[in-house]
Amino acid sequence: MNLRCVQDLYDAAGTRALEHYAVAQLGIAGLTLMERAGAAVFDELRTRWPAARVITIVCGAGNNGGDGYVVARLAAAAGLQPRVVMLNDEARLRGDGASAYRAMRAAGIVPTDSAAWFEGAELVVDAVLGTGLERTVEGVYAEAIARINDCGLPIMSVDVPSGINASTGVCHGTAVRATATLSLVSMKQGLVTGDAPAYTGALQWHDIGLPAAVYAEVSATAQAIAHAQLGPLFGSRPRTAHKGHHGHVLVIGGAPGFGGAARLAAEAAVRVGAGLVSLATHPSHAASLTNERPEIMCHGVAGAADLAPLLARATVVAIGPGLGMSPWAQKLWAAVRDCAQAQVVDADGLNLLAADPDHRAARVLTPHPGEAARLSGLSTQVIHQDRYAAATALCRRFGGVVLLKGAGTIVANENELPVVVRDGNPGMASGGMGDVLTGVIAGLLAQGMALRLAAAAGACVHAHAADCAARGGERGLLAGDLMPFLRAAVNPLPL
Amino acid sequence: MTASVSIHVATAEAMEALGGRLAHCCRAGVRLYLSGELAAGKTTFTRGYLRALGHAGAVKSPTFTLVESYQLESRVVHHFDLYRLAAAELEFIGIEDYFDADADCLIEWAERGAPILPTPDLTLMLRVLAGGREVQLQSHGSRGDEIVLSLC
Repeated sequence: MNLRCVQDLYDAAGTRALEHYAVAQLGIAGLTLMERAGAAVFDELRTRWPAARVITIVCGAGNNGGDGYVVARLAAAAGLQPRVVMLNDEARLRGDGASAYRAMRAAGIVPTDSAAWFEGAELVVDAVLGTGLERTVEGVYAEAIARINDCGLPIMSVDVPSGINASTGVCHGTAVRATATLSLVSMKQGLVTGDAPAYTGALQWHDIGLPAAVYAEVSATAQAIAHAQLGPLFGSRPRTAHKGHHGHVLVIGGAPGFGGAARLAAEAAVRVGAGLVSLATHPSHAASLTNERPEIMCHGVAGAADLAPLLARATVVAIGPGLGMSPWAQKLWAAVRDCAQAQVVDADGLNLLAADPDHRAARVLTPHPGEAARLSGLSTQVIHQDRYAAATALCRRFGGVVLLKGAGTIVANENELPVVVRDGNPGMASGGMGDVLTGVIAGLLAQGMALRLAAAAGACVHAHAADCAARGGERGLLAGDLMPFLRAAVNPLPL
Repeated sequence: MTASVSIHVATAEAMEALGGRLAHCCRAGVRLYLSGELAAGKTTFTRGYLRALGHAGAVKSPTFTLVESYQLESRVVHHFDLYRLAAAELEFIGIEDYFDADADCLIEWAERGAPILPTPDLTLMLRVLAGGREVQLQSHGSRGDEIVLSLC
């Protein structure tokens, strides 16, 4: 992907491979990694909460707890008062975690036996569960998570919020709602999608001093992008540009009563710079639909015959917004199936595709989890269990690029790493937002971007515009509010 | 690994300018490691960094003093050169006290203090080439990513 500084993400196994490489090939001791992890966490919490003196550190039995023991030792050495809550018997500690525990005890720190974990504390460190978690959290761990969440103090999670799956972002029954999370060794792919964005708080990562060679050796499992990384894509246009250089988008949609969806998609396509935008919609409202936006060329189409001359002029087809499933919609859907242009398929276009699946390379599908469930024949819950796998599986079945919407939108194709979008906000959960995204992606495709890039960059542009528009509040954000910000998001910053 | 970029720097003035640009991209409390052979431009870079933050006076290499500290308008900047150092001396000078959350630390020859120094946000590797210098920026986490991103 032709972007600067795309951020590499790793799943739990990939992160273990990074650590293994550092230990086995570079001879860095596991305990050294744990020391550095604890130091990075301590450093981060001193930066965020420089005034905190009394810190409760809740430690599980695994390596995450081991990091917690290091934090406790460093806190005491810095003159703070760590209070260590140990959720397991000392005898269950193994390996580096046991060594870190002994070092902490040798420094004179004794785990608390008081039931008042948080008395007098100003900060909580969650070192309960780390990247190894793969099943429902129960018993003493679930209780600890509940107590941490109820304590009312700022919470710093070590590596991942306890209870969140580091690979999929799924919450295993219950999870810590952190104020801040410091992902260690790698940025985990599970921290940016699924349930995780509701739990991580401010999310950062640190390489704990692993050399660049380690990251060059172990492949990432996904990548993250944000609008800030798109700069080189949206430079100034050549002074000699004309509209023929920037493509012609044909939006097809808008059954009676749903004209607005198609209109939003069409307007978004012009707002991100498509040279020309035509809209093929139901004859009953074609005349009124673009009264206030005459730049969109609006055509009433009764069937395939009316659509044919419009298809002949288009460089990109976007089908689905407000389309419905009526015989009218099915006729239009059938007419575009054999056209050669790149397509963006959304909403009812996806439902029509689900009813009669095919495989096509030059296509972007933009399902939300419900539509993804219909396309794959699985439940929404199964889609949510592993959004990366779900998006990739849809690519294999339908070809092209699949953009799976939701917090941490994922863009996948068959042969490259999935890309996660880091922009966006909950105000986007409102009607018409998806129609705008369809238009944005179609508009970028029309200007010559490749499918995967147009989908990923389009999702960033869309989400960033929504973030700008949401400065007045996330509730009540309208899809139409994005329009002026879309334009700003695809142009270089004014000097 | 994420953000990693190489920048070609033709002249000493350009190296100073790069230091200035980077200073404007960093939040207070940043930790930069500067590595590269003698005369690669580490102190020149630092001079640009300090001047961009309002320092008007001279900037000398702290090879013999180990550290020079600058109280600037917006923040404190510590410039270390650990070239002549043995690790035990680091504790002796109380180096940990310099790593305040709000103070910038630019550290030359950081590898000599490796076990005691905190990990950096960004490492700058300066290499001498035929037509000037190459500066490779390597981020070590979110804070470093931000700097690289806003620089390029």
